[in-house]
Amino acid sequence: MAVQGIWSGTISFSLVAIPVRLVTAVEPGRASFHLLHKKDHSRLSRKMFCPTEGIMVPPEEIIRGFEIAPSQYVLMTDEELESVSPERSRTIEILEFIDVREVDPVYFDHPYYLVPAKGGEKAYQLLVEVMSRTNKAGLAKFVLAEREYLVAVISQNDALELITLHYPEEIHDHEDLSPGIDTISSEEEARMVTTIRTMINDFKPEHYANERRKRIMDLVTQKAQNQTPVESPAPVDEAEEGPADLVAALEESMRSMKEHR
Amino acid sequence: MNRTFVDIAGKRLSFSNLEKDLYPGYGFTKADIIEYYRVVAPFMLPHLADRAATFTRYPEGVGKSYFFEKRCPVHRPAWVKTAEITHGDAEPIRYCLVNDLETLLWAENLASLEIHVPLARAYTPGTPSSMVFDLDPGEGTGLAEAGRVALIIRDLLHNMGLASFIKTSGKKGFHVLVPLNYPDATFDDTKTFAKAVAGIVQKHYPELVTEKMAKQYRIGKIFINWSQNDHSKTMISVYSLRAREEPFVSFPIAWQELVDQLDKGDVESLQITPNEAVRRTESKGDLFQEVLKKKQKLPHV
Repeated sequence: MAVQGIWSGTISFSLVAIPVRLVTAVEPGRASFHLLHKKDHSRLSRKMFCPTEGIMVPPEEIIRGFEIAPSQYVLMTDEELESVSPERSRTIEILEFIDVREVDPVYFDHPYYLVPAKGGEKAYQLLVEVMSRTNKAGLAKFVLAEREYLVAVISQNDALELITLHYPEEIHDHEDLSPGIDTISSEEEARMVTTIRTMINDFKPEHYANERRKRIMDLVTQKAQNQTPVESPAPVDEAEEGPADLVAALEESMRSMKEHR
Repeated sequence: MNRTFVDIAGKRLSFSNLEKDLYPGYGFTKADIIEYYRVVAPFMLPHLADRAATFTRYPEGVGKSYFFEKRCPVHRPAWVKTAEITHGDAEPIRYCLVNDLETLLWAENLASLEIHVPLARAYTPGTPSSMVFDLDPGEGTGLAEAGRVALIIRDLLHNMGLASFIKTSGKKGFHVLVPLNYPDATFDDTKTFAKAVAGIVQKHYPELVTEKMAKQYRIGKIFINWSQNDHSKTMISVYSLRAREEPFVSFPIAWQELVDQLDKGDVESLQITPNEAVRRTESKGDLFQEVLKKKQKLPHV
């Protein structure tokens, strides 16, 4: 698998500093399509449209507005946003170590791998082993793409993983979820334990395929073999669009309306 | 805090500060508001069902600070239905769906005086169930001028084979709705169509109408806001109160009543108070029923 490095720096705590690179750990499993114009197979592009002037707006005329009330905006320039953006992190500073089993998976946002950079291999290996043996995860603050994340560094399969975590205020309350029944008999409990025991297996996600993606990709392969793919023309500037029929029909309707008023 | 517990459909609701007057210039308490919404709920709920609701909340009453709540509050009860909607490249937002009486009254306990909904349902966010013309009077104009423009649009659409329905905005304008209720409807089509209609009305009645959004063009004119026909826009729901000094309702009006009141020069009588709204719905039912039912296809788009 080709891994894409997205950041490099050091993991540090106390007197330890380990040079590492951050790489993506997952690729969305969706079969993704491009949108084409049915008539000529042009790749469609997104444009920002101004409904007041009825024109496409060039990037230099676009500014951000934060909606504070219906149709009421506070304007914000890129410079202003940047002035409150956190500094890019050079280090992943581990602030504390926690028990891995204490981390509720609902906090997990996005996983990355940490790979050792030149000269860091030995310290990396040591950290992997000790964290694994003690079941500990490192908790750190880390700035990625101008956002400050709370992250967990965990040791998994002889490597370090970094998982960005949600902040507590992003997590929905779940206090209404538990039915709160406390009269469960020991037979009922024993029965369920037995049932679960008969279904115990190792975690082998490869036993489960993403069926929809597989079917789509099979269909793509099959269609590519049976028919020549269409070719998209070189992009040109957009043409004028005009619902001439509609305008004519409205004019006609207006004329007859005025006659009868 | 003063709390009252009420059981509705097996759900326990806790109402707070019921005696608080949220329309101090008029005299309309939170209890009055909740009671108003309870009574109109049978007529209003079909128009809210499965639509991503935005609440305009006035915890301190009208004229005081308010906020515009799109995200369904995290502290909502477990039985409040929600739907996630993505607008363009933005993060998806989880909205409340006001599908039942208990959700409506829960929202009202949060002082959600106004409820705004999109023209499409949450599960088909690209399919408007109707097309709308939002008639917004510029400075120096009011309901009378907006009413005249509404009739022009009604007649124009009628000649195109399309039926339309009108409600007051509850502020100073009208909303003309054209039911579509067919699965292939798109916002591209409704926007193109509505813009073309606005353009033609403006061309033939330049002294009365503008299709331009900029405020300087709107003085003395009725602005036909066609751009509401967009997946990202919301409109005040029919039967919602408005958060003005007086608690007027966005309320459906029979076309004939508009014609009669324009003739009599008494269009202001079409500003419907909550009491009047209750009286009218009880005697006439939901004049907007057809907006959800009538199937019509836009020609030439």
